[in-house]
Amino acid sequence: MTAAVSKNVKDMTFEDFCRAVFDTTKRFDKPEVLKGIRVVSTTQYILGPSCAAYLAELGAETIKVELPKRGEPMRHTTPFNEPFLYPLSRWMPDKGTGLGFFGANPNEYFLSLDFHKPEAIQIMKRLAAKTDVFAENYRAGTFDRWGIGARQHMQVNPRVIYQWMGGFGGWGPGRNRASYDILGQAQGGCFSITGWHKEYGGMPSKQTIWIMDYWGGAISAFNILASLYWRDNVSGKGNFLEYSQVHGAQRHLTDFIALYGKTGIVPQRFGNWEPLLCVHGILKCGKSSYPNSKNPQEQEVGFCLVSAYKDEDFAKLCKLINRADLAKQYPTHADRVAADAQSAIYPELDKWAADKTKEDVDKACKAAGILSQPVLNSKEVSASEHWKLRGTIQWIDDPTFGDVQTQGPAYQLSETPGRIRWAFKPVGADNEYVLSKLCGYSGSAIADLEQKEII
Amino acid sequence: MADKWRTEKKRPTIKILPWPAIPTPTVDEVYAGVDEKKKEYSLWVESAVRQQFNADKPESLDGIRVLDCTANMQIGHWCSSHFSELGAEVIMVEPPGGDPTRKLTPFGRQEYMFQDKNGGKCGARFLAEARNKFSVTLDLEKEEGRALLKKIIPQVDILIENAPPGHYDKLGIGYRQLSELNPRLIYLWVGQRGQWGPLKDEPGNLDPTAQCSMGFVHGTGAPVAFGGTPTRSGWWLCDQVGGTFAAMGAMAALYARERFLGHGQFVECTAAEGVIRIIDYNWGWHGMDGSIRPRYGNWDLAINIYAVNPCADGQIMVGGGHDRLWFRIWRTVGKDRPELEQHICEDPKLRVVTDRLPHYMQVETYTTMCDWTKDKTRFECETALQEEEVASGGVSFLDEVCEFPHYKYRGHIMQVDDLNYGKVLIGASGFIGMNTPGRVKWIGRPVGQDNEDVYRRLAGLNRENLSGLKKGGVI
Repeated sequence: MTAAVSKNVKDMTFEDFCRAVFDTTKRFDKPEVLKGIRVVSTTQYILGPSCAAYLAELGAETIKVELPKRGEPMRHTTPFNEPFLYPLSRWMPDKGTGLGFFGANPNEYFLSLDFHKPEAIQIMKRLAAKTDVFAENYRAGTFDRWGIGARQHMQVNPRVIYQWMGGFGGWGPGRNRASYDILGQAQGGCFSITGWHKEYGGMPSKQTIWIMDYWGGAISAFNILASLYWRDNVSGKGNFLEYSQVHGAQRHLTDFIALYGKTGIVPQRFGNWEPLLCVHGILKCGKSSYPNSKNPQEQEVGFCLVSAYKDEDFAKLCKLINRADLAKQYPTHADRVAADAQSAIYPELDKWAADKTKEDVDKACKAAGILSQPVLNSKEVSASEHWKLRGTIQWIDDPTFGDVQTQGPAYQLSETPGRIRWAFKPVGADNEYVLSKLCGYSGSAIADLEQKEII
Repeated sequence: MADKWRTEKKRPTIKILPWPAIPTPTVDEVYAGVDEKKKEYSLWVESAVRQQFNADKPESLDGIRVLDCTANMQIGHWCSSHFSELGAEVIMVEPPGGDPTRKLTPFGRQEYMFQDKNGGKCGARFLAEARNKFSVTLDLEKEEGRALLKKIIPQVDILIENAPPGHYDKLGIGYRQLSELNPRLIYLWVGQRGQWGPLKDEPGNLDPTAQCSMGFVHGTGAPVAFGGTPTRSGWWLCDQVGGTFAAMGAMAALYARERFLGHGQFVECTAAEGVIRIIDYNWGWHGMDGSIRPRYGNWDLAINIYAVNPCADGQIMVGGGHDRLWFRIWRTVGKDRPELEQHICEDPKLRVVTDRLPHYMQVETYTTMCDWTKDKTRFECETALQEEEVASGGVSFLDEVCEFPHYKYRGHIMQVDDLNYGKVLIGASGFIGMNTPGRVKWIGRPVGQDNEDVYRRLAGLNRENLSGLKKGGVI
C-alpha cells in the first residue's frame, strides 16, 4: 500500500478505498509481477498467443516468434474482411492485420523467423537458453524433430518451463488430429447443451467467443505461474506442461459428466432457461429499444434476464405480471423448477414482456425489487462508465495504431496490477531489438539475415 | 409446445451403462503399426505426463492454504479448484447448513443428487467444484464466528469471498482489517460486476447475469434472418471463466509476494470482466467503426471455412482458414462430388484468404459444402476429412464425450472412487505436466465434515469450545 493511501485508509468509505487502491490511472506507477521473466512464444491462432499475452500483461518480456512476411495466420482473419489495422509490417505498408489478431497479443515483442532455415534454428536455441518460459503450439513432436523441443531445451536450460498447447495432445489415439477452438467445443460437448431444444426449433449452438482457446490459454498461464512459483521457491527445476484444447470442454462440463455417470442421462439443451433454478431465465421482450436505428443489430427486439427463484421474489414477479395465481400454483422452488412448470411459467412471462422493451422490463423488475439484467450488445457495453472506470474496456494511445479501444486485464491487483502497453505490433517489428539484445547480432548481420529471408 | 416434454409424471427408465461401456484402448492398440521413430516422441510425452504416475510426483502449490468463503455462486468455487488441483490446502467455509448451491439439482430432481455415506445429499454442480477441498461451517454474521475467522487468518495465504460489496468490511473482516492481522494475506473478492464503480450495487447473482451484461448473450446464437435469438451458454460460462482469471490474479499476487513484495494484496475479479477480456475483437471493432458484433450462428465472422454445419446424423465441424487446408477440404469433397470442388476452386472471388470472408462468400462456401455433408454421417465426414489432415469432428453429446476413446485414454474423463460419495465420473484436472501435475484426490466433503480437524488444528479449539460453538449455531 502506498504511503498516501495508508494514512487515512481507515477513514475512507469502502468504495473510496477500493477506488484508491485499484485506481487504473496509477497502474503504471506500480511494480510488475513478472518483471525480468522472459517468455518466448512460438504460437499461432488464439490458444497459444493468449497464454503468452496473459503473462505479458503481468510484465513478462514476451517475444512472439512468427513466420516472416505474412506473419501468423490469425493476422489474416477479420470480421467480414472489413476492419484492418495498418501496416501488416514495414515491408508491407498497404496490407493490414485483421482484428482476429486482437486481444491475444498485447504487450509482446515481435520477431520474425523462418524455422525452415538452419540459422533460424540456431537463433531459437540461443533464445531458449536464456528464457524462463517457452510456449509453443506446433504439431506435437515437430519442435522435437527440429532440435528445439522440450527435451533439448531442458538439457541446456533446466529451469525452463516448456508449455505445449494444442488440439488433442502429443499422445493417445487422437494425437495426429488437428484441432481448432470450435472442434473442442463441438467434440467436447459444449455445443450439445447450448441453444434451444429441437422441439423449440433450436439446434446445438457454439459459444460466440473462441472460448476453448482463450480459456485454455488462461489455465495454461495459471499453470505456468504455479510452475514459476514452484521453481523459484521450492525446487529450482523447470517443467514440461501439456495442455490439450479438447480437454477444456470436459473440465467445464464436469457436473453434466457426473450426472451421465450416475443416471445415464444425456443432458440436453434448455435454451435461455436454467435447469437448476426457476425463475432465472432470459425473456423475449416484444419491442426494440432503437426502432429507428439503421443498424439491424439495434432494430432487433430486446431480451432481458429476470431472476426470481426465491419464493418471495417469485411472488413479487407474479404480482408484477398480474398473475398471482401462478404464485399459488407454484408456491415452492421445487414446484417451479420442474420441467413442466418451467415450460408453463416462461410463456406467461414472455406474454407480459411482449409489449415492452428490455429497458421497460428491467425498470419494472427493479421497481418491484426483482433482479434483472437486459441483454446488452457490444455498443452498449462499450458505452458503460463502469467498465471504463475499471479499465476493463479502455482507449489506449497505441504506439503503432494510434487510438485503439481494447480490453484491459480481467482482474484488478492493488499493488502489482497488469497493464496494456500496446495492442500488438506489425510483423517483425522488434527484430533488431531482440536479435541485438539477446543474440548479439550486429546491424549488418541483421541486414544479412533479412537479405537471406531468415527473418 | 411439444406434449412429449410433459413427462414429469411418467419418465422413461434409462439404462445406466457401466463406464467405460467400451474398453479404453491399450497402449499397444494405440500405437499398433506405427514405426519406432514416429512413436518415439509420443511415448516420451506419455511417460512424462501420464496421470497414473501423478501420485508419485510433487505438487506445485503444496503448503499454500486457501480459505474459500464464497457461497451462492460458482465463481469462487471454480477459482479455488485451481489451487486445490495443484496441491494447496483449500478449506471451504460454508454457512451452517451448507452452501445453498449444494441443493441445486436439475429440475429439482432429488434422484439426480449424490449421496454421502451418512445420507447427506449434494447436487452435481456443487460437487463438481468441491474437488480436493475440505469443508467447515462458520457463521460470519455472528461475532463468535468472526472471532474464529480472525484467529485462523494469520495462518492463511489466500482468502476468497463474494459477499455484497463492502459487507465484510462492515463486519470487520474486510481487506483493511484482515491485512493488519496478516500482512502476507492475499485477499480476493469475486463477483458478477465488481465492488466499486457505478454498477457495483446492481445485485450480483448467478450466471447468466454476467453473460447478459457484457455482450456474450447478444452475440451467441443464429441471426434473426436464420430464425435465431440471443442465446445463453448452456453452462455458467462467465462464472467459470471469471473464476479462472480470479485464480490467475491471486496466483500472480502469491508469486509477487514471494518474489519481491513480501506482503499480500487486494485482488478483485468479476465474472463479466473475465469474459470481456476474452471476447475476441468486440471492443476494438466497435472502437474502429462503431460496429456491433452480430450473431453468426455456428459460422465464424472472421474465418472461412471454420464452422459447424448440418450433416446426415447431426452436425459436423470443419475448419481450415488458410490456403493449405482450404484446398485439402475441397479435394476431399471432390473425391465424391468433383463438381462441387470445381465450383469453389475455380471461383476467382474465392482465391485469396481474406476475400472469402464477406457474408455472401460464406453463404456460397457453406451451401456448397452442405451439399456434400447432407448425405454423410458425422463419422463419414470426419473420416474423409481427417485422411487429408483437416481439423474436423462431429458435434458430440455427453454420452459420446464420455466414451470417446481419446478422452478415456488420456484420462480427461475419470472416475473418482470417493471415500464419501462412492464412484463419481468427472472431468479431470486440466493441469497436465511432467513434474507437478494437477490431480483429483477426492471429489468433495459433506457439510462441515472437517470442522473438528480444522478448528482444532488451526485455532487450537478443544471439544468443549467446539460443542459450545455448535450449540450457539456458529459452526
